Amino acid sequence: MITLPIIWYLIICLELALYVLLDGANLGVGIVSLFPQQESKRASMLTILGPIWNANETWLLVAAGTLFGAFPAVYSIGLNALYLPGVIILIGLILRAVSFEFHAFSVHKRPWSFAFGLGSLITAIGHGAALGGLLSGIAVVDGHFAGGPLSWATPLTGIIIVGVVASYLVLGYAYLIRRMAYENQHETFSRLLTTVGITFVALAIATLFLPVQNFLFFTRWVEPPSMYYLTAIAVGIVIASAFLLHAVIRHRHAERLYPLALIIFGLGFVGMLVGTYPYLMPPSITLFDAASPHNTLVFMLWGIGPILPIVLLYNIYLSRVFRSDAHEVRANAYDI
Amino acid sequence: MDVLTFSRIQFGDTAAFHILWPLMSIGLALYLAIMEGMWLYTKDESYYRQLRFWIKIFVLTFAIGVASGFPLSFQFGTNWAAFSNAAGSFFGNILGFETTIAFTLETASLGILLFGWKRVPRAVHFIANLFVLIGASLSGFWIVAANSWMQVPHGVAFVEGKFVVTDYLAAIFNPDTLVSFAHMWLACIVATMFLVAGISAAVLLTKNAADATRAFFLHSLRYALMLIIITTPVQMVVGDMFGGILEANQPAKLAAYELHWNTNPPGTGASLNLFAWPRADGGGNVFQISVPNLLSYIVVHTPDGEVKGLNDFPPLDRPSVVDAIITFLSFRVMVGLGVVMFFIAVWGIVLWRRGVLTLPAILSRRWFLRVLVAAIPAGFIATEAGWMVREIGRQPWVVYGMMRTTDALSSNLALPQVGTSLIGLSVIYAALAVAFVVFVVRIVRRGPDLTTPIP
Ligand code: HDD
Ligand code: HEM
Ligand code: HEM
Repeated sequence: MITLPIIWYLIICLELALYVLLDGANLGVGIVSLFPQQESKRASMLTILGPIWNANETWLLVAAGTLFGAFPAVYSIGLNALYLPGVIILIGLILRAVSFEFHAFSVHKRPWSFAFGLGSLITAIGHGAALGGLLSGIAVVDGHFAGGPLSWATPLTGIIIVGVVASYLVLGYAYLIRRMAYENQHETFSRLLTTVGITFVALAIATLFLPVQNFLFFTRWVEPPSMYYLTAIAVGIVIASAFLLHAVIRHRHAERLYPLALIIFGLGFVGMLVGTYPYLMPPSITLFDAASPHNTLVFMLWGIGPILPIVLLYNIYLSRVFRSDAHEVRANAYDI
Repeated sequence: MDVLTFSRIQFGDTAAFHILWPLMSIGLALYLAIMEGMWLYTKDESYYRQLRFWIKIFVLTFAIGVASGFPLSFQFGTNWAAFSNAAGSFFGNILGFETTIAFTLETASLGILLFGWKRVPRAVHFIANLFVLIGASLSGFWIVAANSWMQVPHGVAFVEGKFVVTDYLAAIFNPDTLVSFAHMWLACIVATMFLVAGISAAVLLTKNAADATRAFFLHSLRYALMLIIITTPVQMVVGDMFGGILEANQPAKLAAYELHWNTNPPGTGASLNLFAWPRADGGGNVFQISVPNLLSYIVVHTPDGEVKGLNDFPPLDRPSVVDAIITFLSFRVMVGLGVVMFFIAVWGIVLWRRGVLTLPAILSRRWFLRVLVAAIPAGFIATEAGWMVREIGRQPWVVYGMMRTTDALSSNLALPQVGTSLIGLSVIYAALAVAFVVFVVRIVRRGPDLTTPIP
């Protein structure tokens, strides 16, 4: 039966997925900008992201705000436990947020474009650390966090950090190819191939490691019905990846790369949800344990429910307004 | 020093830094909306030039506002997990409204405002500009509503260690909310317009500025002054409205504002301490300079109305002596600056009526211009002081009368963790503040672009 906590769970998952997929590509572009290249290319990367990064990043806040209201126990215990990953993400977001505008006004561009790339990399590492910490299992006793400051830092977390950074790079390259911002397509394709490889290896190891670290995941792979869903999703990922690899190796259908990458990571996200449902913090807190009282969930649904579709439409409008290639955007950038 | 103290310093430090930028973002968003509206209405290109120039500073304040906002949201979970867990069903709900209803509107519209010049019709651009203003103000509303509920927690019950909402309207629109929001929003306008006026005055004071540049900044100065003249008196009236609210809901805080220790006996008035210093152990003042009956007048509006003194509250339920001193001094700083800013506004009206706010007459009013430059920090300092009054004066409660700050803390935090984040954030903030000043000076030196064709 669909109950209010489940509705809120689905809403938050949707918000989080939007954040990871949209901002993941932006973060990937930021990391790409760290590699040696001409400064003008870096500038054009900042320029394509200029009008959209902030709106994309807002999905993180939206997801966090909704989580706080609907599942306060998870917001508080989760951040309590993941203090240091949280600080890492914060520092990354701060660096990235300010480097855009300071870059535009600066005389010496290099420090600010570097801050932008570094901020993106730090944020991605923080995401990996937080996800790794969450999946490794957070100790909770009597509704309070009961672990230590470094409980999140397990070997699994290390692998997940590599996997997250590599997946953002895949999204970033695919996005750049789509926006035709990268003149040297040849080089880009081969780098895309490398990062796809790293992503798969890291995620495969992580998948094998998960049941060792957190027993819950073992049962998910051997018990029906989650076992069937997970297998179906894995097959979907393999098929989409085959298409992606084919397009990359043949250098064809460049415009399809980004949607394909989105599909792959979208499926990966769904797989993670199937693997953890109904836990928000596996294996201790389920979404039912953590949910706010009934009247809060109803009130929030009245407040936020009608707004979300409007926000989505507005964001689609925004991305349509700015949907041309990098050269055109540059001509329009606010000339400072 | 313990984790609790560090966490309090960290929250105060990061909030005090964050508030500076929304102040300017909301204030400049209003200024930009007025300029764009006037441009569309009069078709006079000089408004367009205003828009394009001040938007550059807006972009910077917005970016730092976003960057410094994240650490605040995070801290509710990282450092104040017990509070967030207990209060989340209302407090988190309101922050959820802030992000979903306000931030999304603001950030999406911002893209159009900054980059949409040639891509959307002028009317759509203007609407995006208005949305940025509305989004920023709404986000201010929700955050102030959340804070007001911590100050005056109506509409909730405390059941088994958690707050449960019994009446949403009473909780959101508690007696404090609308007054606080009005006072906060006006503070944004006051502080920012003193910044705009001060920058403009600084340029007018330079010897070799071009005539066109002078005309441009005189234009800014006049609009800023107009808004200052409207808002500073209203701000004082709104501030005065807090008196009754505090008396009814936070009497210990009100007493701390005034270092008023003993309730005035019936038939006598409470006197207002202009200046005072408490005894180290509390309980009374070492010395005080006071005006008889004035406190009763201000709070109850009669010469001998009763005003509760700090001694009426058990020491554990009222602000400590140090908290009381900070509250008392901060309150005087805010009100003092409010009065000073009001007189500057009056001076502005006088000059305006004499027709001096024109070129070249204004250039000979060097003292007026110098005072405007000196007054740039006034609104910002008043705002910081106002928040110190509000937040330190409510101690030892995090949710007034219902939950103590000591019970709000996260579990198993280690001092090095909090120390690292506190130092790290402070260093980054200091660097951002310096970078901001450097860039604003550079933008102002370069001056407005008065020639590029209009899109
Ligand atoms: C430009 C800024 C500014 C100016 C000129 C004033 N204030 Fe203010 N004041 C603020 C900016 C501010 C603030 C920072 O925005 C606060 C903190 C919380 C809030 O809602 O507003 C505040 C809070 C605040 C409070 C505390 C409310 C509480 O504890 O819950 C009181 C009693 C006043 N103000 C009263 C006044 C009076 C009587 C003023 C007359 C001159 C005045 N303020 C000028
Ligand atoms: C932006 C302006 C603000 C400033 C300058 C400010 C300042 C402060 C200061 C100085 C403290 C430490 C008080 C002490 O422990 O003695 C504090 C604590 C706190 N404030 Fe604020 N505050 C601001 C806004 C807010 C808002 C809008 C909220 C809620 C939505 C809030 C929530 C809190 C919480 C939860 C604490 C920690 C608990 C406590 O120490 O009582 N603050 N703030
Ligand atoms: C009364 C005090 C506050 C006011 C008026 C205020 C207002 C604003 C405004 C207008 C913005 C938009 C960015 C900008 O224009 O600079 C903003 C950003 C932000 N604020 Fe505050 N804020 C206050 C205190 C707080 C507190 C206590 C929190 C913690 C929950 C917070 C969290 C945030 C966050 C996360 C952002 C970034 C959002 C974005 O991406 O646009 N703010 N704030």
